[in-house]
Amino acid sequence: MTFRLTCPVCGKRDVYEFTFGGQERGPRPEQEELSAEDHFRWMQFRMIPCEPQEEWWYHAQGCGVWFRTTRDPGTNLEVEGDGDGDE
Amino acid sequence: MTVKPSFNWLRLRRLWRPAPVRRHYDVVIIGGGIHGLATAYYLARAHGIRDVAVLESHYIGFGGSGRNTAIVRANQRTPENVRLYDEGLKLWRTLTDELDFNLMFFNCGTLMLGHSEAAVDGYRMLASTHNLLGVKSEVLDPLQCAELIPGLDISDRPAFPIQAGLYHPPGGVVRHDAVVWGLAKGAAAHGVHIHQGCEVQGIDTDGSRVTGVRTSLGTIRCNRLGIMAGGYSTAVAAMVGIELPIHPLTIQAMVTHPLKPFLHHVFSSGAYHVYANQTLKGEIATGAHMDPQVNYTNDATAYYLKHQAEALVDLMPVLRGVRFMRIWAGLADMTPDMAPIMEGHLRYDDLYLDAGWGYFGFKSGPVAGKYMADYMATGERPEILEAFQLKRFLEGRYSGETAAVMKYGHWD
Ligand SMILES: Cc1cc2nc3c(=O)[nH]c(=O)nc-3n(C[C@H](O)[C@H](O)[C@H](O)COP(=O)(O)OP(=O)(O)OC[C@H]3O[C@@H](n4cnc5c(N)ncnc54)[C@H](O)[C@@H]3O)c2cc1C
Ligand SMILES: [Zn+2]
Repeated sequence: MTFRLTCPVCGKRDVYEFTFGGQERGPRPEQEELSAEDHFRWMQFRMIPCEPQEEWWYHAQGCGVWFRTTRDPGTNLEVEGDGDGDE
Repeated sequence: MTVKPSFNWLRLRRLWRPAPVRRHYDVVIIGGGIHGLATAYYLARAHGIRDVAVLESHYIGFGGSGRNTAIVRANQRTPENVRLYDEGLKLWRTLTDELDFNLMFFNCGTLMLGHSEAAVDGYRMLASTHNLLGVKSEVLDPLQCAELIPGLDISDRPAFPIQAGLYHPPGGVVRHDAVVWGLAKGAAAHGVHIHQGCEVQGIDTDGSRVTGVRTSLGTIRCNRLGIMAGGYSTAVAAMVGIELPIHPLTIQAMVTHPLKPFLHHVFSSGAYHVYANQTLKGEIATGAHMDPQVNYTNDATAYYLKHQAEALVDLMPVLRGVRFMRIWAGLADMTPDMAPIMEGHLRYDDLYLDAGWGYFGFKSGPVAGKYMADYMATGERPEILEAFQLKRFLEGRYSGETAAVMKYGHWD
């Protein structure tokens, strides 16, 4: 079963128009204070519980915008974010 | 009063019987796939550790173990990996005897197609590595490829013309359900408990020890715990706050309607994202590229039917007009270097992990189980597993199954 994502510009579009950008994890840590191990960990290690997570997506075959949305890896579907959608 | 069946040979014999859930086991394994079942089997058979439970949230083989395209081979890239997969490949014959269950190993050989100069150079490198380690592999020119697999279009017409092939005679196909059932039969015969419909929902710890699991069938305590949950391993590890360098991604596969036997080898092409073989029933079983977003579903999509049809017909025009009958999906637990993680004493003294097999975890299931059983029985890492430690990712060392660190999307 395929699913759709909500592009802030184009509205609901087929997932295959988009590129997955990974979990939203806040700003990249400052390089100066970063040990090699922490850097490797930040780059590669993920906590992925089976519950909704905030993600980045890129509308590659559409308007070309990067945006965030909340999606449940357990169902693949977008869910309502908790409260103010911008956060 | 039971009615005696008139034909005894029609009576189905159970391969194994469910047992009542005990509240404590020496070893608990999360995941009733090939890796979990094989580990339990070898713990009981090779080490005499029989107080073992395999906990499976759905039914055995629900995960990748019952969904893969069943291709087995040993033509990996690095010596550490080749050595492990080679032993795994040799295990099918032994296991068929040992389990007294026909695993239907079809030793038809595999052919990887190369469509660029870089790919051909890579295959030369692979063949040398394999030959150095005593694993049969040879580079074929396009004409030889077509002799092996007559339907291939070796002309300049395809979008990616065939430039060479890497032929690996020891490879082939094994019936995946049979492996699941055979291992369950063997494990249960040695006293292992297999609990289906038993979902692990939490992991209990006390200081530096794992003490048990909370499940849909109540709390079960244990001395040693193994996470062998395939594509779900990241979700299970998250229950104890452990992050892993693994992305669970769906991979799709499909079969056509049955055809007369004409394809006698497995073939694959990285450029087309296609691998295919003809099953003993006559269907063309074929697998595709992965979906890009992390997920724990088994969702298949029409998108890949179309992709697969286009790719297959370009490579093998005789397949034009053949229809797909079925499509399905399963999870692949992808690591940055396409090599697995087999780890013990993972943050807790008695926590073990066997995951990150990506789309290589079927062929390696029994051999991984054998060594994970050694590891869990003794607490000491077997030498052959040195290369598969988690810490390599924190030391900037990769197993090198790919030339570069894999990226499945545009993140990082
Ligand atoms: C379409 C496809 C094609 C593939 N083709 C090949 C191939 O040709 N060759 C090859 O070598 N490999 C292939 N693979 C990869 C291979 O199938 C897997 O690597 C392998 O099956 C992994 O086995 P496993 O035992 O580790 O995990 P799984 O078989 O996934 O078993 C894990 C089990 O854990 C259970 N589980 C999950 N969470 C919980 C929980 N919380 N509590 C209890 N139980 C839980 C699941 O229900 C599942 O049954 C393919 C995979 C797919 C999806
Ligand atoms: Zn858009």
